[in-house]
Amino acid sequence: MLANYEVSQAEKKFIGLHLLFAVIAVSIGSLFGPLQALEHSGLDLYPYLQPIFKSYYQGLTIHGVLNALVFTTFFITGFLTLTTIYGLKRPLRYPKLNAVGFWMMVVGLVTAAIPILADEATVLYTFYPPMKAHWAFYLGLTLVVVGSWIEGYGMYFTYYAWRKENPGVRTPLTTFGGLITMVMWQIATLGVAAEILTMLLPWSLGLIEGTDPQLARTYFWFTGHPLVYFWLLPAYVSWYGMLPKQAGGKLFSDSLARFAFWLFLLLSVPLGFHHQYVDPGVPAGWKFLHAILTYSVFIPSMLTAFTVVASLEYAGRKRGGKGLLGWIRALPWGDPIVAAQLLAGILFFFGGIGGITNASYNVNLVVHNTAWVPGHFHLTVASAVTLSFMGISYWLVPYLTGKKLAVSNKFALAQVWTWFVGMMIFSNAMHVVGLLGAPRRTPLGLAPYIPEEWSGHLLRVGIGGTIMFFGMYMYVYIVAKTAWSKKAEPANVEVPLAESVQDPQDTPEWLDKWVPWLIGTVALLLVAYGPQLIDQISNISLTSPGFKVW
Amino acid sequence: MAEHKNSDNGEFHPKGTWVILLIFVVTLILLWGSVYVILLSRGVTV
Repeated sequence: MLANYEVSQAEKKFIGLHLLFAVIAVSIGSLFGPLQALEHSGLDLYPYLQPIFKSYYQGLTIHGVLNALVFTTFFITGFLTLTTIYGLKRPLRYPKLNAVGFWMMVVGLVTAAIPILADEATVLYTFYPPMKAHWAFYLGLTLVVVGSWIEGYGMYFTYYAWRKENPGVRTPLTTFGGLITMVMWQIATLGVAAEILTMLLPWSLGLIEGTDPQLARTYFWFTGHPLVYFWLLPAYVSWYGMLPKQAGGKLFSDSLARFAFWLFLLLSVPLGFHHQYVDPGVPAGWKFLHAILTYSVFIPSMLTAFTVVASLEYAGRKRGGKGLLGWIRALPWGDPIVAAQLLAGILFFFGGIGGITNASYNVNLVVHNTAWVPGHFHLTVASAVTLSFMGISYWLVPYLTGKKLAVSNKFALAQVWTWFVGMMIFSNAMHVVGLLGAPRRTPLGLAPYIPEEWSGHLLRVGIGGTIMFFGMYMYVYIVAKTAWSKKAEPANVEVPLAESVQDPQDTPEWLDKWVPWLIGTVALLLVAYGPQLIDQISNISLTSPGFKVW
Repeated sequence: MAEHKNSDNGEFHPKGTWVILLIFVVTLILLWGSVYVILLSRGVTV
């Protein structure tokens, strides 16, 4: 039996603050989701928002930055703080260090939000130069990233202190997965740090005249694809380390889970060129290498699929499920915490398939820069990740506040199903209309002519996006009502750490050793990126002026 | 149930999981293949 650990009220408040900012961010960012979706279906509401919000692109920037960057980063740093201290059963080693990191993220959020709201940074969440934002936007994003690094350092110090007291003991799985997530994030964000600090910030401040879009894109995608794994791995921490218990069973294999996390660390970063297949400045051989490395992520992904589904099958059979697939029905679908994560997994089933298509060097040409791509990443970040985070919230908020969910079980279930149904409609329509050639990042409603065959699908984009809007605000309502309700019943919630079928101490020691995996990660990065970075940096051409196209 | 009884001593065989993974791989091949057919139909290799 896993021992419990009493997290202090101060620690709960600190973690809760992360969730507060995350939910505020997603509640604002999600206001613009249906505006874009409805615009695609022919109902353009942006003119009614003048003069507060100027354009579709400003809305798209707010949507992407707040949802994909801010909501995720705040939720993840808060959640991983909990998995660190609860897993290791000790407080943060230097809580003030983590507090500095957190408040730096908050200052960064405000610093970046001001130019976005003032329409001085309408550069979307990828902020590709030569589009040029106000310097405060770049500075704010830098502070958010550096703040998250500092919070990560606080987790490492805590782990180091635990390790000194517990030599030879296997790192608790949820802590282990959280630490790998942080390490991967800190390696991956070196790209965007280099982009902002050496190019975009001095450029936006007028210290250098021009920029080099090719090198900037290479730096960005050094970070941009592993960013997806920064979002996904905390969901995997829950799927591996908590969902089996919530479903009524155990983790099928501790060893497989750890091996998958190591492979994600090793393989998540050196593959950014698969986002740059049509960039003329990257030689074909390097694109091919990154295509192969992208395919290699299929291995830990399938390991994850196998281990998580096997854990669910174990739980379903324990609950009386029979037959080859009858155990699926026996899972606790009536529990919104479990249902959210199961539905997230179903949506990710299709997200994974779309990802393989994106990664394929030639097939990518069919979908590149089409509506397929946002359709795909809504199946990852807005489904596997966000829907899982919604499910996590339904025990985490009661745990932090000591209050039961302030709505009925049915209402919370309706919320996760609403999100699921909306996403099915929206993402399917986006994929299909993308295959028909509809471009991404385009206010299609303003086009004087669009092919007739797009119309029905664009209507479904609007319907799906609107349903998701209701699903999101049901979530915000549930979390806010639970957090602030004075009438809510007291709750006695424990962090749902799953036991493993296998004793974690039986997991081979090499799966709990950091040095070889870190050396391998750096070595693979040097091989996959080193020569190209040297070539692009030595041929840097800071000649492109900045453009404000909005 | 035999599988449940055996599950704690390492003899649990997740047969249903293998079926789901098989369905995933088949779906992947079909959907990826359909995009590949679109690629060919557009004459990219010409």
